[in-house]
Amino acid sequence: MSWEVDYLAIAPELIIIGSLFLVLGLDLTLPRLKKYWTATAAVAGSALALIPLAFLAVEGETISMFDGSYVVDEFALVLKGLFLVTAYIVFLMSVNYIESERYYQGEYYLLLLASVLGSLVLASARDLIVLFIGIELVTGPLYLLAGWRKGDVKSNEASLKYFILGVLSTAILLYGMSVLYGLTGEITFSGLAEATAAMPNSPALTMAVLFLIVGFGFKISAVPFHFWAPDTYEGAPTPITAYLSVNSKAAGFVAMLLVMYLALPGVSDVWAPALWALAALSMTIGNLSALRQTNIVRLLAYSSIAQAGFMLVPFAAAAVAGADLEEAFSATVIYLVIYAVMNLGAFGVVIAGARTTKSGEISDWAGLSNVDSRAAVLVAVFFFSLAGIPPLAGWFAKFVMFRSVMIAGGAATVVLAVVAAVNAVIALYYYAKVVKSVWLDDATREFPGEFDEPPAGSLRLALAISVGLTVVVGFFPALATFVADASRVIAAGG
Amino acid sequence: MTFSDWIAEPVNWVFAAIGLAVLFSGFRVVTSKNVVHAALYLVGALAGTAGLFLLMSAEFVAWVLVLVYIGAVIVLFLFGIMITRAPTGLDESLSSDQTAMPALLSAAVFVVMTWASIDAFGTELLATVGEATSTQVIGESLLGRFVIPFEVVSFVLLAALIGGITIARRDLTPVEEEERMSV
Amino acid sequence: MSLAEFGIVFLRALMVFGLLLVATIVNIWAERKILADMQARIGPNRAGPFGILQTVADGLKLFFKESITPRKVELGMYMLAPFLAVIPAFLIFMMVPFGRPFTIGGNEVALVGADLNIGLLFVLAMSSMAVYAVVLAGWSSGSKYPLLGGVRATAQAISYEAAMGLAMVAVVVYSATQGDGGTLSLVEIVERQNGTWAGFIPRWNLFPQVAAFVIFLLAIIAETNRAPFDLVEAEQELVGGFHTEYSGMRFAMFFLAEYINIFSMSAIAATLFLGGWSGPTFEDSVPAFISAILPTVWFLLKTYAIVFIFFWLRATLPRLRYDQLMTLGWKGLIPAAVVWLIVSTISMGFRQFGAPWG
Repeated sequence: MSWEVDYLAIAPELIIIGSLFLVLGLDLTLPRLKKYWTATAAVAGSALALIPLAFLAVEGETISMFDGSYVVDEFALVLKGLFLVTAYIVFLMSVNYIESERYYQGEYYLLLLASVLGSLVLASARDLIVLFIGIELVTGPLYLLAGWRKGDVKSNEASLKYFILGVLSTAILLYGMSVLYGLTGEITFSGLAEATAAMPNSPALTMAVLFLIVGFGFKISAVPFHFWAPDTYEGAPTPITAYLSVNSKAAGFVAMLLVMYLALPGVSDVWAPALWALAALSMTIGNLSALRQTNIVRLLAYSSIAQAGFMLVPFAAAAVAGADLEEAFSATVIYLVIYAVMNLGAFGVVIAGARTTKSGEISDWAGLSNVDSRAAVLVAVFFFSLAGIPPLAGWFAKFVMFRSVMIAGGAATVVLAVVAAVNAVIALYYYAKVVKSVWLDDATREFPGEFDEPPAGSLRLALAISVGLTVVVGFFPALATFVADASRVIAAGG
Repeated sequence: MTFSDWIAEPVNWVFAAIGLAVLFSGFRVVTSKNVVHAALYLVGALAGTAGLFLLMSAEFVAWVLVLVYIGAVIVLFLFGIMITRAPTGLDESLSSDQTAMPALLSAAVFVVMTWASIDAFGTELLATVGEATSTQVIGESLLGRFVIPFEVVSFVLLAALIGGITIARRDLTPVEEEERMSV
Repeated sequence: MSLAEFGIVFLRALMVFGLLLVATIVNIWAERKILADMQARIGPNRAGPFGILQTVADGLKLFFKESITPRKVELGMYMLAPFLAVIPAFLIFMMVPFGRPFTIGGNEVALVGADLNIGLLFVLAMSSMAVYAVVLAGWSSGSKYPLLGGVRATAQAISYEAAMGLAMVAVVVYSATQGDGGTLSLVEIVERQNGTWAGFIPRWNLFPQVAAFVIFLLAIIAETNRAPFDLVEAEQELVGGFHTEYSGMRFAMFFLAEYINIFSMSAIAATLFLGGWSGPTFEDSVPAFISAILPTVWFLLKTYAIVFIFFWLRATLPRLRYDQLMTLGWKGLIPAAVVWLIVSTISMGFRQFGAPWG
């Protein structure tokens, strides 16, 4: 059998690989003061990779390669678009942060590009091996990037915690996959779906599925597998934290949804209650812990744990109720996309604000609106959006979530909906607390940092893109529903 | 199939012997109080695993396991131990007071996994695994059906290599950096 | 497996064992004689004709000497290390075909310890196992110099193993174009080198793969820790290196392992690049038993040609400095091997499938 490769279909991956090698070459040859060109190459690469994506989207064909293990359909395209846009924003946020602190630049962009490559592969993965390699390539470079601030003990702790727990979860994930393969002899999702639907439920199958959930649970930092997240988020360089909380979390979600939805629909009675519990626990514990945080990055860390819970709600609810998963799937993907944009914005504004405050403590941010009103406005926009206040994009995400729960129906679903509603209120409290501190409280001290000159152009561009998307999607939710349509394709095309 | 039927088959003796050896080595890797001994027990566990692969006629996998893990990875472990501290006696810092809970948890996981595995695969025989897979077939499928994961793995390794060096290398002091800049 | 078949397998293993022991005795004597000649000395000349029994005498002396066990050693590992040195060296040679198969009493006897279809992989695996002996000997001696020697040896072996493996890959790829599909079996690789180009140039892999040969040769010299890469036992810096604390028979085992390694690795080089046992057998003009023995003679000649290079380099070149050693390995041989592999694979691809633009 010949294994034809459609080079247009993998063009985004090839462009990222090309810019990765370009970064490597530039880093090797350029003198130290000119290393910023590596940043340009990375930014340009992630933007250029969007072009073939647009071509593929216009063509709209589903391309399946290698025995159906690598598929480029609309769903994959939407996710690749998400990964590339968020990577683009993260690159923009990194430029000055990395250069001004004199961290290694070329290697930084190279590792980040490798991680982006992993997420692109993951979006197309339709068998266990490609999926596993993809998820490893997403997280592998991040273990190192989390420790990039080498002189800082917190950064070392961040890297080490993330690495040890990440590797443990990988081992569990892989064990689950190998048991699944041992039981069925299949690795493609379609083959697994057929085989597991036909086979009676056995302890080994249950164990395999639970192991998979534990493994993915670590990657998306769902409670009770979230312990690494706050420390890692706090210690890592802030752009990496943004990337961790958006791209790598999204990658974990995509992997989990793909496996559960495409490969294991036949054993939903095993994973549905588990996901239900994960969702409820993540929301509740994430939010309750966030309430007590005084550091803005830790607050965002716990909030992102809670948001992961919200994202799981539609899927878990539909699966528990035995309803059609298609609606829930697209709701989760919509939530994911909107969350990505607004969370990136929140981290961007933390970087911008920290130039003035030189501190991560929320109390030190008091009165920021007096000296840097633009940053203060952005704080309000992104935090209210995360809380789900209309007309910002966050409300639509929450709306879609609750709607899909309504459609699913059933007692367990209603309980989950109530938990989600209570948590949405708790979340509003702590998000609003930050906004209050910035806008209403009086400054307790002189701001140590500079605030006369505006932040660098790249950071402003990153913030402009995030704020633009957050507001526009909030006003015109129809824009987000094309995501939903695209993710329905996967149900038809499989 | 009864146990006496099972044990009548010579291949099962070998399987049982290797399995017990791997089990023992794995246990000693964790409990050993000397880092070098732990690394060497790991060699034993890996060699036993290679032996199990050989029993299943997977020659290529077995020797790659020996070549990569025993021949390279553990050697690097030992190398790392030797250039950092090279302990020759017992290393008390390797032991922990908190052994009860982890041991309990491990035992529970072991019981569950064993039960599930026996339930699912208990009736399968080594003999039914099939004949040897030729190296050529493995090579062709790596560069055919599995070419995407095969190529993507190289980026995992590249990233690990470059990132590892960057994290581990000594940074320039400000003075050295000034010198470097002025050139 | 019938008794006769089992006997043949046993006999083959015994044959390899005997061959290696005899070869070692000859090798040590030859090295001393050759070095002496190059340095205008006489060399061993008392025991036996031309001093050829000198090695036997040395061996006997070592055998009867006391094996001192220093107090601070890690006893288990200390005792184990010499055996770990010898065993992989023997096993490597098991893969080498050292003569044409012949038939005896209806049973075909292949002159090879064992023909695995992944023979080359096994060779690589075993050559990497040899490091354990050195590192464990160094560590378990409980003394500084051996430890440093062991650490050096590990770094050196790892560095040069990569280049060695890449050179092997180039040969494997080339020999895949010489027959039906790729092979890792050394027996098969030798058979594919049988014959001539244009009637008189032997079809050795050496000619198309000359760069790989040079890289492989340098790498095996480094792998066996021989001059000019013998930093492991640099006397001025490390006393005796990893075997400083060994004496008597245990020391002799390391010595034996070193010489077996030289012979085994040379045999692998001869097999991969010089056509192994292939060569003219003159079947029409000489008695049958001579034409049956000739391939083994060719094999030994080729192997000794490479062994001679080992001794020659030792007499010629001064020892490298440690950083030079690492630079040569990582910045010289490995990139060269990678580039050569890519270039030769592309050119073979063109020959096999035609240029993509043509």
